[in-house]
Formats: sequence, structure tokens, C-alpha cells
Amino acid sequence: MAKQKEQKREPGVCIPWQEKVKELPKISGDEKLVRTVWEDIDALGYVYIWQCLLSF
Amino acid sequence: MAESSKVAQERDMEKLYTQRLKRYVTAMQNEKPDMVPIRPFVAEFTAKYAGYTCQEVTHDFEKAFAAARRCAADFDWDAVVGNMVYVWTGLTQAIGMKYYAVPGIDISPDTGFQYLEPSEQQAFMKPDEYDKLIEDPTGYLFNVWLPRISTDVAAMGEPTSLRNNLSFLKGGMAMLNYFNGFGRQAQLLRTESGTVSAISGILKAPFDIIADKLRGYLGLVTDVMERPEKVLAACEALMPHLTHVALSGADPDKNVPIGFWMHRGCVPFFSQEHFDKFYWPTLRPIIEEIWSHGHQVLFYAEGDWGAHLNAFAELPDKSIVFHVDKTDIYEAHKAIGHKFCISGGIPNFLLSYGKPEHVREYCKKVIETVAGDGGYIMDASAILQNDANVENIRAMTEFTREYGIY
Repeated sequence: MAKQKEQKREPGVCIPWQEKVKELPKISGDEKLVRTVWEDIDALGYVYIWQCLLSF
Repeated sequence: MAESSKVAQERDMEKLYTQRLKRYVTAMQNEKPDMVPIRPFVAEFTAKYAGYTCQEVTHDFEKAFAAARRCAADFDWDAVVGNMVYVWTGLTQAIGMKYYAVPGIDISPDTGFQYLEPSEQQAFMKPDEYDKLIEDPTGYLFNVWLPRISTDVAAMGEPTSLRNNLSFLKGGMAMLNYFNGFGRQAQLLRTESGTVSAISGILKAPFDIIADKLRGYLGLVTDVMERPEKVLAACEALMPHLTHVALSGADPDKNVPIGFWMHRGCVPFFSQEHFDKFYWPTLRPIIEEIWSHGHQVLFYAEGDWGAHLNAFAELPDKSIVFHVDKTDIYEAHKAIGHKFCISGGIPNFLLSYGKPEHVREYCKKVIETVAGDGGYIMDASAILQNDANVENIRAMTEFTREYGIY
């Protein structure tokens, strides 16, 4: 698919990690783990609103 | 049941499932299976057959699942949808969605749920809000659209409330519960009756979704004349999201197609010019993208899409299954049957009010004309609701099994 105009929020994302990470103190542990869990759960919010629109 | 007999039954069901899956997939690849597959999209028909009201299968999804399984066990069908009634009004009520007429609350318990479209003035999206939607579709849906379509969700800047908070909490948990139920249902269909779950995932066209849930049909009719560039930009902004949602729900094994529900983008709801300008250029790339990932799309072409068959013929071979509602099935077969599998085309009116012998005659003609080289799946024209006659559905099923052997 041709590249679309950039949007504030990419597909699959409600609150981007780049925005969330700014709110956190310096991560001393595994940042990748924190990011993955954030993104996985954030994606559920995306599913919620788009399924409301499309399925219900 | 003795252990050995249970094991034997499980083995038989798995064998039946494998045969049916092969039959269904072969036809969808526009090839010739051992016999014509049967894949009826049975919605409120399941309630009628299993002894439930429309209210029961709409408001209690476990009853809807049970009714679908009961039909799958009693009819020799290759594939069904786990719950073709689909909308669970327990969920939509928890969220506070305004646009449903719910059986047993707003309408008779024996009438299927209805969508209520607001007047043009009350549309959920206002005509001057296109830029907000285009800039950030997900943000727009959460911040503007959801508060408007819900009785409970507070608009941005308004005080929150218990009902607001509960709408998200209950709605989110209920949706997860329901979607998880589909996985369980697919497994039960497989093990109890050897039946394939017919589709996986959902797609709607950008142009359609603007009419269905945002501007309303009349609003969009106005917009294509008064602000066409905004309509096109909005369709383009929705494309990556609709593609993402479709792919994220697709069958990981790439056997069954993504369900694509086609509503009012065709002539005469819109002109050919509008189809060419808005509908097709913002849908075709989505289908091609999905196909590049190895997934087919089932075009559930509600209404008559005969004016657009040449456009669909532009798509890659086998990338879609074209379901016939009011489109002339013989024209469809002539125009796109060499590229795509065709399904449906048995009129719902006939299945509701005709006699079984007339159903058999109609099925015979369709099988002889459309299914000769494979690439056809037996089904009604539109989803089967509680007006469908059980004897006619039995006639469609049994005749196809008798006559549809290659």
C-alpha cells in the first residue's frame, strides 16, 4: 500500500511508547520489557475503539 | 460414553473437519473440490431452529454460540460463522451505544436487532470535523465519536462520572470475554460437529464506514458534493487503520478469509463517478495489501454490486471470494468467475416463502451454471434470519449434497 500521510497515532497505538517513556524515571532495569508490555496492553485500547467502530 | 468410543468419535470429527476444510478452501481457491461446499451465514435462523428468541441470542452470546453449534451438528454444512448474529447487545448496552434497537427492549423479542441511523443534523460526526478525523483517527474516535454514540461516556472537558468510568471498564472486559469466546466456539464447532469456522477478522471500506458510523448516509451524500477533497482525505486516513484491524484478526493459518461487509458504496446509493473517485481507490490498495500477506477477503456484497464487477476484476486472481446477494449471479460468474470463487445467490425470499421443490430447482440452476468448474460455495443471498423456513434450508442443504458432487 502506498505510504500514507503521517498521523499523530500509528495503527495499533493509542499512547506511543515515545510519549510514555518521557513520564518515567530513568529505567534501571530491562527497558525493552517495559516497552513491550506497554505496547501490548496499549494495543488492547486500540482494539477496543476500532472494534467499537467496525464490529458493534 | 466409554473412553474408546469417545476417542473414536473425536477421530471421526477431526476427519470430517479436515475433509470439510479442504473442500471449503479448495472452492475458495477457485478450484474444484470433491463436492460443492455449503457455508450458510445463519444468523437469527439459529435461534428459530434451536428454540430461542432473537432477544436470547442477541443478548446472551452463550445462547447464540449454542444455537450455532446445534445447527452445525444437525445440518451437513462445511462451515459456519461462530455467531453470525454477531452483535452482543449485553456488550453494546454496557458501553451505552445509542444506535441499536435491542430485541426485547426497543423492539419485539422476536425481531432481530436493528441499527438506528441518526438524522443528518444529529450525525455522530459533524461536517466541519473532517480535519480532526484526518489528523488523528484514533484520537477522534476516543475523544469525539465515542462520547456522542454513548449514553455514558463523558465528552472531553465535561465532568467524568461513575457511568463514564464503568463504560470503559465493563465494555473492555466484556469485549475481551466475548472475543475469547469465539476461540472456544471455533474449537467446539470443530470437535462437536467437524465444522469449520467460516471467516476470521473484519474489514469495512473507508467510504462505507464514514456513512455507517460517522456522517450517516445522507451526510456523506452531501459531503461528496460539498467537500469531496475532505471525504477522500478521510478515506485515505482510515485506510492504514482498517488494514491493520483486518490483518490483526486474520486467520494465522491463512485458510479462511477476512469478512468484508459491503454496504452503501455501490450504484445506486452513490454514482459510478463517486465509486470510482472515493470507494474503489481507497479500498483496492487495502485488498492488495491484505493479499500480499497471504489472506483472502470475502466480499459480502450486500445489495447489487453488478455495476462494479469490472473494478473487482482488477484484483489479483484468488485474492477475494465474491458473495452474491442481489447481484445477478450469472453475470457475476461471467465477469469474475474465472478469477474468483463465488458464493451465495439463493434468494432469501425463496428460502422464507417458497416451497422446498422450488428451492431445489433454484439450487440446481445455480449449481449447473455457476459451479460447473468448481469455485462456488452454496449459501443464501443474505444472512439467514428467523423468517427462513427450516424445511427450505434443509432442502438447500440436502439437494446440494445430492446434486453438487463433482
